[in-house]
Amino acid sequence: METATSSGIGNAIDRVEGRLKVTGMAKYASEFFVENLAYAQAINSTVAKGKIVSIDTSEAEKQKGVILVLTHLNAEKLKAYDEERPVLSVSSIQPVLQSPEIHYYGEYVGLVVADTFEQAQYAARLVKIEYEKDAPTINFEEARGEAYKPNEQSDHLRGDIDAGMAEAEVKLEATYNTPIEHQHPMELHAIIATWDNGKVKAYASQQMIDNAAITIAETFQIPKRDVRVIAPYVGGGFGSKLHAKQHVILAVMAAKMTGRPVQLTVTRQQMFTNTNLRQHNEQKISIGATRDGKLTALAHDTLSHTSTYEEYQEPCGSVSKMLYNVPNNRVTHRLIPMNIQTPFAMRAPGEATGSFALESAMDELAWKLKMDPIAFRILNDTQTDLSNDKAFSSRLLKECLRIGADKFGWNQRKMTPGTNRQGNWLIGYGVSAASRAAPYQKTSSKVLLELKNKTLYATVQMDATDIGTGSYTIIAQTASEYLGIPVERITVEIGDSLFPVTPGSGGSWGAASYANGARMACLNAIDGLKRKLNSHDKAGSIEALMIDNQVTRYEAEGTAEPSEAFKKHSVYSFGANFSEVWVDKDTGMYRIKRMVNVGACGKILNPKTAFGQIIGGLTMGAGMVIAEQSRVEPNYGNFITRSFADYHVPVNLDMANIEVVFLPEEDKIANEMGVKGIGELGITSVAASITNAIFNATGKRMRDLPVTPEKLLTAAVEEIS
Amino acid sequence: MRPFVYIEPKNPQEALAASVANSAAKYLGGGTNLIDLMKEDVERPAELIEVADLNFKEIKATGKGGFLLGAMCNNAETANHPEIRKSYPLLSMAMLSAATAQIRNMATNGGNLLQRTRCPYFYEVSMPCNKRAPGTGCGAIKGMNAQHALFGWSEQCVAVNPSDMCVALAALGAVVHVQQADSGMRTIDFADFHRLPGSQPEKDNTLQPNDLITAIELPAPVFSDHYYYLKIRERSSYAFALVSVAAGLQIRDGAIAQVGLAMGGVAHKPWKLTAAESFLKGKKPSAQNFEAAADLAMREARPLSDNGFKVEMGKKAIVRALSQAYERTA
Repeated sequence: METATSSGIGNAIDRVEGRLKVTGMAKYASEFFVENLAYAQAINSTVAKGKIVSIDTSEAEKQKGVILVLTHLNAEKLKAYDEERPVLSVSSIQPVLQSPEIHYYGEYVGLVVADTFEQAQYAARLVKIEYEKDAPTINFEEARGEAYKPNEQSDHLRGDIDAGMAEAEVKLEATYNTPIEHQHPMELHAIIATWDNGKVKAYASQQMIDNAAITIAETFQIPKRDVRVIAPYVGGGFGSKLHAKQHVILAVMAAKMTGRPVQLTVTRQQMFTNTNLRQHNEQKISIGATRDGKLTALAHDTLSHTSTYEEYQEPCGSVSKMLYNVPNNRVTHRLIPMNIQTPFAMRAPGEATGSFALESAMDELAWKLKMDPIAFRILNDTQTDLSNDKAFSSRLLKECLRIGADKFGWNQRKMTPGTNRQGNWLIGYGVSAASRAAPYQKTSSKVLLELKNKTLYATVQMDATDIGTGSYTIIAQTASEYLGIPVERITVEIGDSLFPVTPGSGGSWGAASYANGARMACLNAIDGLKRKLNSHDKAGSIEALMIDNQVTRYEAEGTAEPSEAFKKHSVYSFGANFSEVWVDKDTGMYRIKRMVNVGACGKILNPKTAFGQIIGGLTMGAGMVIAEQSRVEPNYGNFITRSFADYHVPVNLDMANIEVVFLPEEDKIANEMGVKGIGELGITSVAASITNAIFNATGKRMRDLPVTPEKLLTAAVEEIS
Repeated sequence: MRPFVYIEPKNPQEALAASVANSAAKYLGGGTNLIDLMKEDVERPAELIEVADLNFKEIKATGKGGFLLGAMCNNAETANHPEIRKSYPLLSMAMLSAATAQIRNMATNGGNLLQRTRCPYFYEVSMPCNKRAPGTGCGAIKGMNAQHALFGWSEQCVAVNPSDMCVALAALGAVVHVQQADSGMRTIDFADFHRLPGSQPEKDNTLQPNDLITAIELPAPVFSDHYYYLKIRERSSYAFALVSVAAGLQIRDGAIAQVGLAMGGVAHKPWKLTAAESFLKGKKPSAQNFEAAADLAMREARPLSDNGFKVEMGKKAIVRALSQAYERTA
């Protein structure tokens, strides 16, 4: 029944919601019109550890327009954690304002609700809070001894690492550091909450509708069916909106207590302290190979921090478990509880940071072996995931490396650092391999068919979100493909918990899940119409089927979920990054001139939105190298990076000319449509390709991100023989 | 923000009178720094006196071969003015390296001179800062100070001036024109305009209360052929300088006839490299002389706990800026 149309899958059509966005008609969480809306401003602690001893709200309460000043003294009682430092998940409860204890600088300690935003903001500054200060744990170095093993899954061991290292003829031990980073989507976290007769309605900027509803329901201990979450448009998330954070609970609580709808927007400064972060990771790699380049051992030990009240562990060693053919392997993760808010997933958690360490170490070892780093990787390729002995559903890593080398002009690379010069510039080429799991989850969808003047129109519904990735467009294209009508006649309705449940946008599973869910609903609709006619072999169009059935409207639901074959395989996207970097010989400045990215990531639903995903990932990966870092003040524990003026993400001028190539790939094990995620592949290992290029240019190994002019200027040139 | 009164005076006299009448009032130019600081609760003026529309918007030749830049011209139109590009390209280059296109379109020349430090301790009201809250101490001197001063700092304050424009103005030897509360006019040499922190870091400059900047005067151009503004920063745009150098050379008969040299990102004020300038005057524009000048310039540096790298970076930056300036048309 598949009908080729110019807007079906694989076509580079424009975003179906593009016009709404550029004309300002797409509504984001804080933009909905709600009658009688009140505005809230949250108040943050100014100590990193301690206890509130007094709060004076009298001045704030006197101000014009102030409706409520909320503190731990008058807050609603919420469900409390039932264990010490529970694991933070995408649907965890979020108790807030439940005690006078302070766990980190910037923790929410109050909320002012007023008739206007300005009144709330002003009154919030008049709340006087006194603290009893305690010495916070904010120094990673000093707290090293407090590291603990989170759980059994934190470690992976196979073979004998010591024997493998002993067997190695060439080896490397090196430590790589990545700093605290913040997700910082453009759209601030925001919510408009209403509480009406025990029923919650929340316009909230969230990546996962269903999980947000669970968090709200469980925190307030109300039935989930009484919570409706709406997020038709989300201005980026990068992981920070996977989970409904404390501000969501604060707004719902304020709505309940005031009886008015309440809008709460988290400020950019609060996004440093209250909407999670990527923690600092110290990654130690021990790696060894035989003289001819066969890996014998790889150990990847990560030390990170979590908060004192919740646990999150970024799986930095995930790539080291599965990327190469290495018989002896150890991956460990340890956490230090610190007085910094709980870290949580940031784009490619595990891969973005872990592949920086692994792919830097691979480059270092290749150099020691005097091998070409591409040949070295290809020599150690594997078609089996040795961490679980499952075959990869598809794996075109070697092809990515070879084709990328060709596109990039890798054969022009000079192997010895510092030998490619032009004026004051030292020029270097770098490469890295990338892998990112391509998960896929149970997804339901509903399709409503309608005949108007014998012309078929369709509406597809699911509680998916579009976080800027192109969900609307690829869902429309999928429906176009299977219903055989152009996207102009398809309406996509997403971002509402009234619609069928999806896993939401995150973990690179959005595209595969949404597309397969939409496909099943479409196929079920067609099948249903045929059954209705009691004949399965009715040929002809859906219009004809509906006319035969004498219906003008028809609806069907469908659910897609991972197959047995999926579960029996390791399902990943693969890629290769190439960077050309020009380093100023004197000043510590450098420029990324060119990047080539090759990806093997299943069926590309829309080359245009896919390209956008990859260049976004490459830019964010380059940002890890160029400047991105959140600095914690060592005496007070606050973030001294407070805005985009000092939290440096790349600007256009920083970015290279980028070439993106997608290798054609058929992978029906991944899912029926052969779609794999690419939202996170793009950022994976980019950083290493750049720092490897810096080494090739200068002979300096940059193992601590970001590579600031200060670090590059003061780094020593490694012995080059 | 906290509540404030906003007024639009019709002429400088009204603006000055309004300022005299309210000691908690502040002049508002482009607002690119002041409004941000009000949102951060750092600045808390009770009244804003709009001066952006006052009649200080001309860029015109002085009778002395120089140019007068109106205080209320925005940074973009000043930097892109054909006469400024031609005669004072060092100033254009420095100004266009600053901030973003959007900010340069709003920021005024007068306001640029008054922009406040980006020291994070100044920005966070719960932390100590003698500049924001005199007497509370300096958080940076015992805290994070990689971005801070090498020269002229005091125990009370180690903050740096963030302006790029001002570094070029220091190298060019500009003069600031000021209208006083009594409507009288006076001028301040640029070298005397900004001050070192000493025991009063809350004072960034030598303006008297109510003073209104009307114009910046540039002397007759001497560096229109050989100039360079080098800005070392953590990203290519929209980042403040770790170290910057404004270098202007006038070459006569193969020797340096005149030199203007100043650094940014290293002191509480744009740091004029007077000793290096004197050294270079009359000498050949050679790598050796540039390096000797850089050594001389950085000799007085007193690095803090985190910013020792700026000494080496500063030397490299001075040599590079001088070389680029010399090679530009040589």
